Amino acid sequence: MQPLKARAEPSAALRVDPCVDPSDCPDTSRRRWMQAMLLAPAAVAGTGRPGIARASIRTSAHIVIAGSGLGGIAVAARLGRLLDGARITIVDRKEEHNYQPGYTLVATGVWPVAKVRERNADLQPARVEWVKEMVAGFDPASNSLTTESGRRIAYDYLVVATGVHLDYAQIAGMDVSAIGSNGLASVYPSPQAAEATWQAMQAFTRTGGEALMTLPSTPLKCAGAPLKMTFMLRDRLRQAGMLEKSKITFESALGNVFSVPTVNDNVLSRWKTLGIGVEFNHRLESIDIGARRATFATADGGKLERPYDFIHVVPPMRAPDAVRDSDLASKQAPFAAGGWLEVDKSTLQHKRYPNVFGIGDVNGTPRGKTAATVKKSAPVVAHNLAEVIAGRSANLSFDGYTSCPLITREGSAMLIEFDYEGRLVPSLPMISPLQDSYFAWLMKDRMLKPAYLAVARGRV
Amino acid sequence: MYEIWLAMNIVWEIAMGIWPALLLAALAWIALVAAALRRPGSRWAAGLGPAAMAGVAVAVAAVFAVPWLTHSSIAEMGYWVDWANLAAIALGFGAIAAAYAWPVAAMRRG
Repeated sequence: MQPLKARAEPSAALRVDPCVDPSDCPDTSRRRWMQAMLLAPAAVAGTGRPGIARASIRTSAHIVIAGSGLGGIAVAARLGRLLDGARITIVDRKEEHNYQPGYTLVATGVWPVAKVRERNADLQPARVEWVKEMVAGFDPASNSLTTESGRRIAYDYLVVATGVHLDYAQIAGMDVSAIGSNGLASVYPSPQAAEATWQAMQAFTRTGGEALMTLPSTPLKCAGAPLKMTFMLRDRLRQAGMLEKSKITFESALGNVFSVPTVNDNVLSRWKTLGIGVEFNHRLESIDIGARRATFATADGGKLERPYDFIHVVPPMRAPDAVRDSDLASKQAPFAAGGWLEVDKSTLQHKRYPNVFGIGDVNGTPRGKTAATVKKSAPVVAHNLAEVIAGRSANLSFDGYTSCPLITREGSAMLIEFDYEGRLVPSLPMISPLQDSYFAWLMKDRMLKPAYLAVARGRV
Repeated sequence: MYEIWLAMNIVWEIAMGIWPALLLAALAWIALVAAALRRPGSRWAAGLGPAAMAGVAVAVAAVFAVPWLTHSSIAEMGYWVDWANLAAIALGFGAIAAAYAWPVAAMRRG
């Protein structure tokens, strides 16, 4: 591949953002606060919008962003302001943008499904070309990708934001279209599946019985979702007066239920008190939807068949085929197995193709496949990519921040924030991460979607 | 600082989601104030007390209503951060109520 400096426009008009020292850069700076203060009156008056920064780097580079989820759109919005003259193309067929952090609220009857459905066109940044096709393959050696129609799109720089592939096919007998019937639930695939999951949960709370909540061994997006579903199922049974007639068992394919040890221990302690059983090293292998029977592979190589009245299936996850089957995929354990994007976990720059960056769930990084991860990493990706375009090196680091408002029952949650190392890193010092909290619930219920939209618009 | 910026953006996005209602509410308030200003004998000072009382009443009601409106309950206040947020929200509703009640009370005492 060509050296990077050949990609940056060697223009004498190259202007340099004053934000050179990473410690002075986006989001934590006094500059941001001053900007907020200056723009607030205009915002209140309805004559301006907060957070609009001036373009700082003149370039004619073509940047292609594969994927228009939160990560792709947020990076596009930021690049549009950081770069002057760049051509930015988003490649994604989806006309609907789903607020996926709201799926658990839909699936547990808190939100109507309409609250997680947006028009993708409403979130596309201005002056961004939108190719309404899915990426079929990447060829980073020739700096190009191919769409599903066979169209080849060349790029100077690439941002991979394709998200994950929900690999239900690894579960024999699983049928996503059957979610909502025969006690089958799964919150992950779509708003419709989340809504159908709520229907299945409602039906179960009328009869009670045996509930199985599964967890695969692969990296997950929103790894708190299986726990939230378990807490909320128990709460809905309590509200329906059916706890005595019901049994909930969490079937984990791992040796834990959450990768952060302090959170894992806290959840297990709570579940013990709530009467929720846990079985470890049980991987859902197959399911007979009509007969309501699930078969688990156990650690000793055996199989265990379990009847159920309600089952919440969490699919194994991996990178989409286009990434997994390309040279962008990781070649080393542990990320090679899922074909995750091989990025440096700090700069989010591809390890072998420095004109490629990754954002969001597709990244082969420890922990953190959430919207909160995108919130904190989109400024890093946009900044580092702009630096590379300017002929410098990626100099801003991402610490792996992610967050999970872990619902413990209707009306209460824990606001858990952690980094790559699994350290709890509350944004505000007074937040107690393992405390049942109305504030954390209020954030989940009312504040995080507005925050998500602000992230998509590249403001926070 | 980032959290303040984030909070401002959250408020901005919420406002953008309900801007027609906010516009109507603002116009209604302006109309009330204009009516009170044009009415001969409006007693703004005398109206302040009743307006404050209305604000306090709404704030107290909001302490119970806000958790319920957000699928929760007063029993879910886990620690002081919860109470502080609820108090701030309730005081906000109380202040808005007082702002509406003030011109009305001023006219009634005019």
